[in-house]
Amino acid sequence: MTAVQLSGVHKSYGDVHAVNDLDLVVTEGQVFGLLGPNGAGKTTAIRMIMDIIKPDSGSISILGQPNSGRLQDQVGYLPEERGLYKKMVVLEAIVFFAELKGISNKKSPPKAIEWLTRLELDKWKDHKIEELSKGMQQKLQFICSVIHQPRLLILDEPFSGLDPINTNLLKDVMMELKENGVTLILSTHLMEQAEKLCDSICLINNGKSVIQGQLADVKRKFGINRIKMRYDGDAAFLDDKSLVAGFDDYGQYVEIVPAEKVKPQLILERAIRQVTISHFEISEPSLNEIFINAVKN
Amino acid sequence: MNKLFAIIKREYLQRVKTKGFLIGTLLMPIFILGISFLPALMMRSNLGESIRLVVIDETGQLFEPLEAAFSEIKNGKGDAKYQLSQLKSGESLEQGIVSLGQKVNAGELDGILVLPRAILENNQFQYHTKNIGNFEIIQTVERTVSGVVRSLRLNESGLDVELVKKLNNWVSVKTFKIGESGSQEQRAEISFLFSMIMGLLLYMMLILYGQFVMRAVIEDKNSRVVEVILSSVKPFQYMAGKVIGIGATGLTQFLIWVATAVLISMYGLVFVKSFAPEVSQLVLPQVSPWIYVAFLAFFLLGYLFYATLSASIGSMVNSESEAQSYQWVVMMPIILAFFFMFAVNNSPNSLLAVILSLIPFFAPILMFSRILAEAAPLWQILISFVIMILSIWGSLWVCGRIFRVGILMYGKKPNLPEIVKWIKYS
Repeated sequence: MTAVQLSGVHKSYGDVHAVNDLDLVVTEGQVFGLLGPNGAGKTTAIRMIMDIIKPDSGSISILGQPNSGRLQDQVGYLPEERGLYKKMVVLEAIVFFAELKGISNKKSPPKAIEWLTRLELDKWKDHKIEELSKGMQQKLQFICSVIHQPRLLILDEPFSGLDPINTNLLKDVMMELKENGVTLILSTHLMEQAEKLCDSICLINNGKSVIQGQLADVKRKFGINRIKMRYDGDAAFLDDKSLVAGFDDYGQYVEIVPAEKVKPQLILERAIRQVTISHFEISEPSLNEIFINAVKN
Repeated sequence: MNKLFAIIKREYLQRVKTKGFLIGTLLMPIFILGISFLPALMMRSNLGESIRLVVIDETGQLFEPLEAAFSEIKNGKGDAKYQLSQLKSGESLEQGIVSLGQKVNAGELDGILVLPRAILENNQFQYHTKNIGNFEIIQTVERTVSGVVRSLRLNESGLDVELVKKLNNWVSVKTFKIGESGSQEQRAEISFLFSMIMGLLLYMMLILYGQFVMRAVIEDKNSRVVEVILSSVKPFQYMAGKVIGIGATGLTQFLIWVATAVLISMYGLVFVKSFAPEVSQLVLPQVSPWIYVAFLAFFLLGYLFYATLSASIGSMVNSESEAQSYQWVVMMPIILAFFFMFAVNNSPNSLLAVILSLIPFFAPILMFSRILAEAAPLWQILISFVIMILSIWGSLWVCGRIFRVGILMYGKKPNLPEIVKWIKYS
């Protein structure tokens, strides 16, 4: 089943086409990466999915139904720009945001404590939010977006401002949610994160979908394999344009982009004849490269 | 509906729990108490006051009758309030004023009365003092000197002074206010003062609470909480929640004040008498409970009307300083209404007063002030209610549309054509 489907969605602000004829399919139970450079239209797309703004044209369906305010209660949202009432007490704030999702203030507190404990914030439940550090507020905001047990969770740059320990903690929690059947849409411009977490991705630029599909398929289709090699001697073969399209010398090792239709095997054969090789590795294309290439083209 | 209630509840509780609310709520009754009791207290502190005057009498025949007339005027303790002495040195008039003026400056003397030779013909004399703003003293001096001069003239023309005085007696008015329970004696200035205080209170509450709404929206917008909230509720629900929540705070405050006012009118006199026994009457006017009901109704109507306007202004801007360029839309009519109130008070039944009091921007203050003057017939009040409710509905519609777009806009503040486009945009 599809968790989210956008067909021909268009949204413009004045002369600016923030989202331009966007098609998007998110399969239920997956982690879906909505990737793109700053200003690509990710936030606008998310706001339309959340029914905060309406598209100018096109249709959006959420959890198999046409989008409407009623579905908002089944969706959780962590916006890029965090917002909490600073003067409120931590626990009260969670209960308030749960109420906005239709959970009564009698039901939510035990659940809130559970989450606070899971994210190591339980000691802070009676403190005012303004007393929390930025990272703690970030975790609190995350709790506010999942307290109502959404079926679909949209996270806009969830790791920004978190230290490596908390990043890992949040990642674990996200994986737990995924195992419990929650669909996650992850919007980010940090490709390493997306690469580790996402099952599928959609790369948007200038409001349009540029690349979309399963992560492995995308890599196969759009990526170029690279060779990482450490050696001693004079590597004259690197200048052979029929063999090597380009290379970066990092001192410790050299990174080689093979010429079109040249198998890494062939490069290895030529290299063995000229230099002493201490390391030879065929590396997968990174999402980062695919991203940069797609955006530049 | 539950979501709307959650927003109202949060807004209300967060506000009522603050120190600012407590202070604001306590200060107003203290302010009103001050206005009510200050005259009594001032009277008390001035009880033993005495005014020292030196008279330069060029006619040579006025000082003695003047001294006799002034000695009749008593202060709060029953002693003579004015102490007169005569300048008898051979100094010239100018020299006398200069040397006595120094004494006035040194605080040994309160004033100099100069009665020139020509006083009987040109009807003028001089009073030199430091504080020419004290009307009460100046009026007393003028009245007393006039009386003495008049008696002297009557005497000179051979008429019976006492008879003429009796024939000439001033007729004074006693004012009665006709209310539900018949006609009751009430001093006109107190009734005027009461109208002014109630009008001022309404004016302050409308401005203050409109500001609160605007500020709350700007804060939410800046802290980006709106984005989270709007992912759960409709913009209109959110706006309504803010407006109602903050309005409920105002209502709470008002009820506390009414309770205070009722307590004062019940126990105030006892309380004042305990430390100022000579006060026999409180200056508080009789207030019909309907006045409080009318105040409440017009506060609510005015608040809903202006608060939605304020909310939409808050949604359009990024900071309070930016808001100032739109705020006149709200401030101007309220301030104007407050100024019109004086004119409306003077002739509450004039056509202009009726028309002004029906215009929704002015109605909360002006119609209320006409009700206070008991000049507004019931049908006008009802028409005013209908007009207000329709206006609130219209304001909700327009402002809701502006709010919906504005609340998610950051950066440049919109100009008028853009705002119009937002309203048209469906």
